[in-house]
Amino acid sequence: MAFPKIIATMAGGFIFPFLLRLLWGNLCDNFGPIGGWLAGGFIVGTTWTLNHGVGLIYQSGEAWIDMAWAAFAGLFVASAISGDDVGKGVGMIINAILGGVLGGFILYCLYV
Amino acid sequence: MGLKNMEVTLVKNLGSIIGFAIAGIFVMSVWGAFVEAYGIFGGWFAGLMIISIMWFMNHFLGLVANEGAFVDMAAGIGICGTMRDVFLQGPQAGINSLPTLAFVIIGAIIGGMAAVAVEKVWAERDAAKTKDISM
Repeated sequence: MAFPKIIATMAGGFIFPFLLRLLWGNLCDNFGPIGGWLAGGFIVGTTWTLNHGVGLIYQSGEAWIDMAWAAFAGLFVASAISGDDVGKGVGMIINAILGGVLGGFILYCLYV
Repeated sequence: MGLKNMEVTLVKNLGSIIGFAIAGIFVMSVWGAFVEAYGIFGGWFAGLMIISIMWFMNHFLGLVANEGAFVDMAAGIGICGTMRDVFLQGPQAGINSLPTLAFVIIGAIIGGMAAVAVEKVWAERDAAKTKDISM
């Protein structure tokens, strides 16, 4: 991976959880659950246009690395350093791995 | 632990697994179809259409039963997308993608920490404002 691609990819990884952590909760505080709908469009949709629409996150291989990886890692670290229980979080990460692999396998069945 | 508690634990974990899997399946199939059909606007709209309702189920209602440090449904989505291609193209495809994965996660960790730092400053600012008003 060339140096400029590394910078671009890290920037894409930075921006997504940064916006999620700072904006999503505030949107819900202001608008209730509808804030979550707004966040889906204006945080996730809009950041998608940057990270994957124009391609700020460079794909080094054939297996898709979605900006969702950034949301997962960034929000987990933010929650952990704010004092939330990491042990209980790790249990949920195992569920995420099981669910993610299951979903990936089901889509393999769709596309193969 | 009683039978009732065991049942609750089982449903919480199975529910979480199902929530992660469904979010991943929608994002890693329908999203791309919207992009193919409508270009970048299709991608933006897919965010609105899919993430909104998946968030409502997984995090607002709580199918993903987070009790400790927050695991976003994005964990299931990211793993689903990468594993989809590993299943389809073999493990070498995943290995080739590790550099991107590493730099995305490094950026994300810095981003998460930066957001918490900003949050603290905002909280202090807002606490000071409240104090001014009450005085």
